Amino acid sequence: MDRRAFLGVVRRRLAGVAAPDLPSDLPPTFATGDGRLFDRFAAELEIAGGEAIHVRLDELSARVAVRVAGCATVVVAPVVDHREAVLEGLAHAGCRLLEPGRDGAARADLGVTGAVLGVAATGSVLLAAAQGAPRTVGLLPPFHLVVLPEDRLVPGFEELFEQMPALAARSSNLVLVTGPSRTADIEMTLVRGVHGPGRVTVLVVAA
Amino acid sequence: MRDVSAGTFEQRAHVGLQTPGLAAALGRAMDHRAVQRTQAFAGTDEPAVRAAGEAIRAHTVANLDHYLERFAENAATRGTKVVFATTAAEAVEYVLRVLRDHGAELVVKGKSMVSEEIGLNPALGSAGVEVIETDLGEYIVQLAGETPAHITTPAVHKTRGQVRDLFNRAHGADLSDDPAELTRFARGVLREKFLAADVGITGVNFAVAETGSFTIVTNEGNARMCTSLPRVHIALMGMERIVPSFRELSLMLPLLTASAAGLGVTAYVTFVNGPRQPEEPDGPEEVHVVVLDNGRSAILGSEFHSVMHCIRCGACLNVCPVFRRVGGHAYGAVYCGPIGAVLAPLLDGFNAAGDLPHASSLCVACTEVCPVNIPLHECLLGLRREIARSRATRGERFAFAWWGRLWGNARTYRWSARLARIGQLPLVRRRRIRRAPFPLSRWTSARDMPALARGSFRERWKRTEGRGP
Repeated sequence: MDRRAFLGVVRRRLAGVAAPDLPSDLPPTFATGDGRLFDRFAAELEIAGGEAIHVRLDELSARVAVRVAGCATVVVAPVVDHREAVLEGLAHAGCRLLEPGRDGAARADLGVTGAVLGVAATGSVLLAAAQGAPRTVGLLPPFHLVVLPEDRLVPGFEELFEQMPALAARSSNLVLVTGPSRTADIEMTLVRGVHGPGRVTVLVVAA
Repeated sequence: MRDVSAGTFEQRAHVGLQTPGLAAALGRAMDHRAVQRTQAFAGTDEPAVRAAGEAIRAHTVANLDHYLERFAENAATRGTKVVFATTAAEAVEYVLRVLRDHGAELVVKGKSMVSEEIGLNPALGSAGVEVIETDLGEYIVQLAGETPAHITTPAVHKTRGQVRDLFNRAHGADLSDDPAELTRFARGVLREKFLAADVGITGVNFAVAETGSFTIVTNEGNARMCTSLPRVHIALMGMERIVPSFRELSLMLPLLTASAAGLGVTAYVTFVNGPRQPEEPDGPEEVHVVVLDNGRSAILGSEFHSVMHCIRCGACLNVCPVFRRVGGHAYGAVYCGPIGAVLAPLLDGFNAAGDLPHASSLCVACTEVCPVNIPLHECLLGLRREIARSRATRGERFAFAWWGRLWGNARTYRWSARLARIGQLPLVRRRRIRRAPFPLSRWTSARDMPALARGSFRERWKRTEGRGP
């Protein structure tokens, strides 16, 4: 149990083991694409089973209202970009707002959050636990709606991971979300919505 | 629970081979995985990515003490408690102590092979704590009272009908065998548990030394739930599961998920950087990381050092012709397939798992898919050598020494061939030997041996002077 003793054993065993240097350049792990970041983002997210929609700020509330049709109750993270427009759209669709705590999130049909950034090469959004950004809002409801300003899209993992040390310093919990929750544990049959949301929509708001 | 590991590999493999539909189901699932894996690497320079992965692992493991120390220090500054456990018993004891400190009655668990390794569930059960596996496959396996049959797909051996029966029996439900309905039902059952649990326990895919963070990948979201809802989070980590910094993680993560599930990225990658901060509205108040040795340090610096580079993707299982027919339980060990056949004898000893390195045809498919280029087939051969050395009786040693001497000399080799050609005569039926007396019966019980030809190539050459027959 003693850390020094534990690491001492490891150190002794490793004496004489050649230690190669870390590679100075890392090869890309995803095919790089050109063209608009949003197009790549939307295509990848669709493959993962989610959807991305490009919207102008002046049409945001109308698009929200259409997307959330059928959701009776909603939790909205206290901090979301363009929150007023989002709330307007929710009100228009007749969604009832619940407290964005754990109980509300567990009962709501829909959770609305912002995102720190989006990754075009994988169709992912990064959620950070923070003041005004509870973990449960994007996790417990069956439908997760993300509002992401377009200028927060980055091309790939390289750009994402460059920012990770700074992001990790500010938040105790970061989650890279790529489409809906899914499983293939029963006879390799794909089923969506196991523990997390079964439906994920990202509204990418034009800058 | 350990009953499945009774007997020898041969006996357990027999059970697997006689299970109706098992080989077909495994074959289908594993083919699917292998195709997905190939697709995931499309568009990348696979050899270059794997070489970089190998270099990162080699560097990190060769400096493991340094990176573990940095991880522990950096995690401590964020309020994460990192403890080091030399044995499985120490790890279990620490987890139990944390549970007692919090008066925990219900624990939700994400998928963790290390927890299987230390026998955590039975220990918690004996201590009166209810433990629920929340990965769907693990939950199915738990209801069946079994152990995982695959590193990343634990319930790969269960049919939808068996899952339906398990759920209906455990919950008095009346479900059909539709995977979507079964999954929806499990979501409801496990959601209640998540909301009520005191403590969440997960594994660790990679720890990050530079920030004291660690990551967990899932597709279902069980790790997100375990790191968001309970008051306390305990993560169990094999001591080699670490990278120097996020830069290396940017390559290792897609390498892991592509090899494991054919995905560039899983639905969720959770990065835990510490317990909930004061301004954050939710999350665990305590985060503990248990770093486990349990026999690993003895592998460092040995002939089998490179097996410590393993990232537990399970790709070698999916392509292994032996695994695909007998299933994971035949290995009778926590880790199965080719990686298990190497790890189990090293971690559990030759007495418990000495027959596993023989559960291979040495076709090298495992080595060819390993994302970090571990020479698995060479490790298997090396272990066979070590095990033979440690087990050979005096008679065997004597016999093999003489055999080596006879066949090491061209003249005596030719004599022995001539003698064998005569000696085989009573056994040959239609140019094959199907049955032979002991000890050769050990060989012929499972396969035929072609009869020795009437003359050797050299003899024929001499007779015809190289002009053909």
